[in-house]
Amino acid sequence: MSQVINTLFNGLSLSSIILLTSLGLAITFGLMRVINMAHGEFVMVGAYITYVVQQLFVKYVPQSLFSLYYFAALIAAFLAAAILGCLLEKVVISRLYGREIDSLLATSGISLVLQQAARSIFGSQGVNVNAPSFLTGGLSVGGVTFSYNRIFIILLVAVTMAAMWFVIYRTNFGSQMRAVMQNRPMAQCLGINSRRVDNLTFGLGSGLAGIAGCSVALLGSIDSTVGQSYIVNSFIAVVLGGVGKLAGTVLGSGIIGFAGITIERFMSSSIAKALVLILIIVFLQKKPQGLFTIRSRSLDE
Amino acid sequence: MLNIRGLNAYYGDSRIIPELDISVPKGKIVCLIGRNGVGKSTTLKSIMGLVKTPEGSIRLEGKEMLKMPSYDRVRLGIGYVPQGRDIFPQMTVRENLELGLQPKGGKGKLPDYIYELFPILPQFEKRKGGDLSGGQQQQLAIARALASEPKILILDEPTEGIQPSIIKDIAAAIRKINEWKGITVLVVEQYLEFVLNISNYVYVMEKGSIALEGDSLDAKSVQSIMTA
Repeated sequence: MSQVINTLFNGLSLSSIILLTSLGLAITFGLMRVINMAHGEFVMVGAYITYVVQQLFVKYVPQSLFSLYYFAALIAAFLAAAILGCLLEKVVISRLYGREIDSLLATSGISLVLQQAARSIFGSQGVNVNAPSFLTGGLSVGGVTFSYNRIFIILLVAVTMAAMWFVIYRTNFGSQMRAVMQNRPMAQCLGINSRRVDNLTFGLGSGLAGIAGCSVALLGSIDSTVGQSYIVNSFIAVVLGGVGKLAGTVLGSGIIGFAGITIERFMSSSIAKALVLILIIVFLQKKPQGLFTIRSRSLDE
Repeated sequence: MLNIRGLNAYYGDSRIIPELDISVPKGKIVCLIGRNGVGKSTTLKSIMGLVKTPEGSIRLEGKEMLKMPSYDRVRLGIGYVPQGRDIFPQMTVRENLELGLQPKGGKGKLPDYIYELFPILPQFEKRKGGDLSGGQQQQLAIARALASEPKILILDEPTEGIQPSIIKDIAAAIRKINEWKGITVLVVEQYLEFVLNISNYVYVMEKGSIALEGDSLDAKSVQSIMTA
């Protein structure tokens, strides 16, 4: 029994990490259809920002307030990645809309530049973040330990999703964003500055990658390739769920996370990864549009 | 109100409209009629900034719009109902209507007169735009264009694919919009009876230019151009 609970918790935890790194991608790739190969590097930027904010707190803030660094880091990581995203959209991606292959190549190049920049600034050795004190240790229930740090990531995903839902469905910017993504010329004919919306939407997606980077920093050492290890799963989660549907990304992340952890109970973890990939390839052969599909009268006509 | 002078419009490299002149006086209902493919919709898209218009002049109340992006033109006071209506299918009727407030920055309240014009809209508020019938979508699209209380309403084939009883409602609504609020109207149509019924002035278009115009054209002379 305790083993089953443990597996479920690990599955939930892995799913939430995949989901957190996928949410930004669900916006930039899912809604905007931009294949941004540098998305993983935004995760990396978020992770390094967490490290930098921690160093600043060690230097300038009294020891008793040290644990608060993590909340400052969340905000800083979001803003840094969002600003970087807006810049990337303005300078490179906005000139390449409708040219997927070109934007794929350009962003791959940017990904390499950002990785090298990280190596130049922080060195090729990984750096480590000390988890804030309230995240060390774990909660023991009936012989099963739930580490605080993983519980925190699950909560962080929930809060991030709620905030995203609020922005998309309850703010003026959200309705502008949905209008532009559904019908760009008509949105413009309603007085919506679609270029500005594109720019801010891309910034939002990139900022979410920054938040993901903050949580990734809690899980292990940070180096210039930290984003790469998450990005593949994220792309798969978005495609599996159905490009353009946020609910699909949630389900896609869940499936990858739980399937991986469950198979890992019986086999080695690399075999588990391969098996999950094979299952997804087979599934997408049968249903290339993913789990969720958009259907409506006007699109059917 | 709206003056078009020496307008040239292009799709890619081919010129669809050569040297077009059209005037829409303030407070009038003006119709642009013609067969398929003579450049009626292209004319409206030129006004909205959706096609390339390198030469000519499009002025709204004296203000030159030719080089403006679409969203800035709309903010000068244009309500646009495109061909095919272009309702946002994934959004509710209410959300579609509220998008009509975007020219004013997305703030404010929906004006009551759009519900007086289209009393069926409130009962659909929570439905998805894509689930409405063609006629309902057309009414929603007109209401959306009117939400910002524009100076001029531009409609592209509002009767296309709509059942006769609703065409009557739409004609009545266009007249009321003009009478109640003094909103100027420019309509592109192929349906002759509808045009002669609502308009103060008619332009008949043929191969990208105006073949005939006047305030009291008879059905026969228009018909002869339309079927030629």
